[in-house]
Amino acid sequence: MDEKLQKALEFGNYSTTLENQKRMLHEKFVTDTIYFYSGGQFTINKELINFVFMLQQTGQDTSVIVDDNNIPIEVDVNQFLENISDKFFTASNEYHTAFKKLQTSRSVDGLTE
Amino acid sequence: MTSGVLLFAYNNEQIDYVAQACFLAKRIKQYMNLPTSLVTDDKERVLKFYNGAEVFDEIITSDIIRKNKKTYHDGSLSKKVLDFKNFNRSDAYDLTPYDKTLIMDTDYIISSSLLVNCFDSANDLMMYSTCMDISGWRDEDEFRYISETSIKFYWATCVYFTKNKRNKAFFDFVKHIKENYQHYRNLYQITSTVFRNDYAFSIAANVLGHVKELPGTMIYSTHKDILQNIHNDEIKLLVEKYDRVGEYTLLKSNGLNVHVMNKFSLNREMINA
Repeated sequence: MDEKLQKALEFGNYSTTLENQKRMLHEKFVTDTIYFYSGGQFTINKELINFVFMLQQTGQDTSVIVDDNNIPIEVDVNQFLENISDKFFTASNEYHTAFKKLQTSRSVDGLTE
Repeated sequence: MTSGVLLFAYNNEQIDYVAQACFLAKRIKQYMNLPTSLVTDDKERVLKFYNGAEVFDEIITSDIIRKNKKTYHDGSLSKKVLDFKNFNRSDAYDLTPYDKTLIMDTDYIISSSLLVNCFDSANDLMMYSTCMDISGWRDEDEFRYISETSIKFYWATCVYFTKNKRNKAFFDFVKHIKENYQHYRNLYQITSTVFRNDYAFSIAANVLGHVKELPGTMIYSTHKDILQNIHNDEIKLLVEKYDRVGEYTLLKSNGLNVHVMNKFSLNREMINA
């Protein structure tokens, strides 16, 4: 096979694998940012963290938050904020580390090792 | 309240579903620390050849009266038509020894503790409707709606339920749909003539309306992808390339539960494991 064509195919393969691995990492991040509390399920995102932070800053000890399945759950605001922040930042850091590793991998083997 | 996982395994001419169930039960113990019970048609064989007493909490015998024919692919280039014995999933409510049960297909590879959270949930019936094809390019429409002009698709691959009157009614309705499948096929414009649990559960879910979403997403690889290996929570798959029949791209997942539909490659991996 022509060398240029060979390189183009190899790059195509690398590029597809890179995009696939990025999708899997993002899916892992999404899964890692699901928080379960008192029978409720919450997807942690910046909006939720800000909302709970606002509750804490306005002096509320307990509050009702509607979960992903539209079930109202009573939460201890301080404990809830601490847990979601911890879980979110742990997941973000793991995502960042894994993403950086992907970016520095220059071969299909490196991306999937 | 007792909690556990319920698997159904009926071997056909070439696919060893019981071996898949043994493999999955060990992973369920490892990642979710839950007992697993098995529903099968040959308890003696499971005990004798698969060391079933050590793997399963309970082995429940339930004979299959009817069976389908289904095309099983092994990658893009190989396929076989084999028996598919899937008619008693709707009996799960009566068969389960647990108060809180998670039903799973034997080809759903557990690599995380995510689903253990169902057992503390305020919801009493949960299934997946959101899904992600591992390839990133294939059309997902057949898993969004049960047909082009019909209702939302729910996966019977993974169903969590608590025993109560409402869920008894749900499973009774699934049985009713199964027994009158032609009628419901016409009513819901289902093109496939083969009975699928996914369709029956989807219709019941849409009619009764109290199903909630399981945590996360149903990540799946199709029959046209090939499982390469499973090592701890890492799953490597050869994923079918876009517009290149018989060519694959390697993909790795870590810590994610993945539905591996290629049963042949799953069985090969279990032999090697």
